[in-house]
Amino acid sequence: MEVFGLVLTYNHLLLTIPSIALAGFVMLGLDPFRLRDFEVRALALIGGVGPLIPMLVFANACFHGQCTGMVPIFTLKVGESTVALALQMDPLAALVGLTVCVIGAAVILFSVAYMQGTALPDLRRFFALMHLFLAGMLTMVLAGDSIVLFLGWELMGLCSYLLIAYNTTSAEAIRAGRKAFIMTRVADAFLLAALLLLFLEANSVRLDHLIPAGVAAQDGMRPIIAALLLGGAIGKSAQVPMHTWLPSAMAGPTPVSALLHSATMVAAGAVLLMRFSPIIQAEPVVMAIGAGLGALTAIFGAAAALFQQDIKRLLAYSSISQIGYMMLAIGVGAPEAAAAHFVVHAIFKSLLFLSAGHITHHSPRGTDIMAMRGASQRNPLAFLAFSAGAASLAGLPVITGGWWSKEAMLGAVWGVEPALWTVAVLAAVLTAAYATRAVLIAAMPDPGSHDGHADHDDSHDTGYTLVPLAFLGFGALLAGGLVEPIMHLLGAHVPHAPLFTILVASIAPLVGVAIAFALAYVPALANGLQRARDIARRTRRRPRRQDKPAGFWVRIALAFSRGLRIDTLYQIVFVWPFVKLVRWLNGYGRGVADPAGNLPAMAALRLQRAITAPFAPDWIDRTWTAFGGRILALWAALRRLQTGRARDHGLYMAAGTAGLLLLAWGLTWH
Amino acid sequence: MTEDSFTALMLLSTALFVVGLFGVLARRSILIQLLSLEVALAGPSLAFITAGARHADAGGQAMFVMILILAAAEVALGLALYLRLRRTADGTDSDSLSSLRH
Amino acid sequence: MNATFALWAGSLALISALLVVTRASVVHALIWLLVTLLSLSASFFALGASFAGAAQILIYAGAILAVFVFVVMTVDASPKALEQERARLGRAWVPPALVAALVLVPLFAWRGAPGADTAAPMGAAVSATDLGMLLFGPWAAVVEIASGLLLAALMGARHLGRRGKPEGRG
Repeated sequence: MEVFGLVLTYNHLLLTIPSIALAGFVMLGLDPFRLRDFEVRALALIGGVGPLIPMLVFANACFHGQCTGMVPIFTLKVGESTVALALQMDPLAALVGLTVCVIGAAVILFSVAYMQGTALPDLRRFFALMHLFLAGMLTMVLAGDSIVLFLGWELMGLCSYLLIAYNTTSAEAIRAGRKAFIMTRVADAFLLAALLLLFLEANSVRLDHLIPAGVAAQDGMRPIIAALLLGGAIGKSAQVPMHTWLPSAMAGPTPVSALLHSATMVAAGAVLLMRFSPIIQAEPVVMAIGAGLGALTAIFGAAAALFQQDIKRLLAYSSISQIGYMMLAIGVGAPEAAAAHFVVHAIFKSLLFLSAGHITHHSPRGTDIMAMRGASQRNPLAFLAFSAGAASLAGLPVITGGWWSKEAMLGAVWGVEPALWTVAVLAAVLTAAYATRAVLIAAMPDPGSHDGHADHDDSHDTGYTLVPLAFLGFGALLAGGLVEPIMHLLGAHVPHAPLFTILVASIAPLVGVAIAFALAYVPALANGLQRARDIARRTRRRPRRQDKPAGFWVRIALAFSRGLRIDTLYQIVFVWPFVKLVRWLNGYGRGVADPAGNLPAMAALRLQRAITAPFAPDWIDRTWTAFGGRILALWAALRRLQTGRARDHGLYMAAGTAGLLLLAWGLTWH
Repeated sequence: MTEDSFTALMLLSTALFVVGLFGVLARRSILIQLLSLEVALAGPSLAFITAGARHADAGGQAMFVMILILAAAEVALGLALYLRLRRTADGTDSDSLSSLRH
Repeated sequence: MNATFALWAGSLALISALLVVTRASVVHALIWLLVTLLSLSASFFALGASFAGAAQILIYAGAILAVFVFVVMTVDASPKALEQERARLGRAWVPPALVAALVLVPLFAWRGAPGADTAAPMGAAVSATDLGMLLFGPWAAVVEIASGLLLAALMGARHLGRRGKPEGRG
């Protein structure tokens, strides 16, 4: 069927997948639509669960070998270059897209109940932004050309900022949103540079032209492109060194953290690298850097998570660590294992966030980890879900999905670089440790419990809450069966890992569980942790040096709970000088107004005075030197031309145009 | 159409544009400035139609349709801004609007 | 096609354009703008561009000017305001006139090389059919983008024109 010069086929129904979410955004976000409470919730559900339906159809076809491939929507030939907007459905897109749709549906279902009690305009804003995010992420996943890819990428970043700063009355949330936006923007610049360089190589925008052109790039372009892609992925996926925005991003509401900052958006960097893996794999140096950074992030994140005092920050560092694993797998040449882990991680991480959010929802202590206490009595179902997620995160052998995917990744790393494998195993130990620590704290009885509190409190358990938790809970445990089919689907040859590595991968989580028990029950360690917690709380309110010397264990715990103060380091190195410079340039605080004009003149004056001071200047000298001062006065007079009035500036523009026209005319004279 | 009449029509359209430009630069009332912008837009419209008629190319009228759309969008937003500004500033004096905050 | 008539109509448009920018009362300026647009429309008809002429009357004079009229109805038209406007007219028109003349001079005096196809028959009427084939064919994407512009203007005007506090500021 041809419409407006476009040949429409059934494949163009791919457009409906992000469009449903986009339509939800438009209807919820636009002011003129007057909607009542239940209409808002109905629209939220439709927009959230809607994309799942066409996605299932297309993904099902793809898993059975009938992938739609590239679907060009709009093609334009500009000189030699081809600019095409296209979507594509290949195994990677189907896999990631289906995961995003499922997790998105579960989180939005959950948040319909979770966001009960917020004012209607804010509720609309929340769901509109969640839908826009879903549309953006699906666009990025299904993108068949770099323009659509970047559009989706940027939409995700924007929604992340707006959703973190959702509580517009909280200065902390706004600051966190700004920090997230700026840091991911820096990474976006790298990605844009990479995409532009690829366009120059390929003269086309379509991904199936860009990727082979990138692989075939000469003159040292290929390592640059690969490094830029890696840079873009690092920022978006909150890897070391650009990871400090993610723990702060936990200032947003829990469903935001569950959807964006755990399962889908932060993994987008890994998905980007998976999409561009032919280019990355052609550059061993970049792969090595990626793998090294991934391993470093994995162990740093796990260590930091072990000592966090806030459950959401714990889970944030956990996400950082797990995506580090994915980067490590990609860096050693096993992107399929990373894809499998992406799916399993999305399931259990969103489960952890949702259940933790549910447990701490009405707690007076916010999301402090001690607010989880008593969960096993208060909300046994949520506690069970949390435990299932934690077990999968820890990677308890065989029975949890996490073990299978982690084992696949570790097996791939062992084959390439045993040193990195050791680091990864240590990180796995620490992972199990912090996961178990969280569950142990949740299992502890609530010390403030009197008759009312320790009781079973299921007044907030509705179908909206329980169905996603149950679904994700079972998924977290059973997803192990998905790992091998996923890897086969993406075309990986799955070698059998040696028994030694399987054994180590099985023992490591158990060691971690033991460590967690030790931290909780061995008095020396437990007291040290409590001391670190008290110090952190006290110095946060009144930043003063603690008088009593703290022991080594306490200092370690304190340092890691603050993320090794890397955030503060960035504030000192990047933010503070920049703000000072801007203030100085604008004339605040002994700064000079209009420095570009004034400073050279002032410097020249000083120089001239210094040179002539030894000689006694007479009136000729003085007139000459006054000339310098006149320049500054002239400058100040010229500044008055900038009246800010439209007419005056229009006059200047017209005069300039007249000048140019006269010049052009004059050039035609012979 | 002779060569001379074509040239004359083009010069006429230039003159229309310049008259509109003069109106924007010389008048202070915002509404009159908006009207002068409409006059200025009439210049290129005539130029496009004339050129299209000379070469028997539908592109001239098509560009005129685009200019029409542009003028409609500009008038809508311009007048909306004018009505908004009138609440806090003086609508008959665009010279008073010289800072960003109103 | 009658180019001479088109020239006459265009001259009329120019004269009324001059009158538009020099009136003190906004309503008078509006009336002269109407004259300008109608004479331009006549000029378009004379050049064989009948669709453009009709569109000029219907849309430009009919819709855009009508929006202007709505706003002008709310303007203060007391004699005091008119006096103030006349006073402002008298001063400071020389620099803009000079600059405008400077823009005009090269455009008037500069005659480029004559067109390469002077041998071809000069001018023919372009029917609405041809225009439609162009707009719905190769220029379809341009039309869609232009409709995006209109949508943006619509939403912007609605947003700017609302009264009171916006909803949904948490």
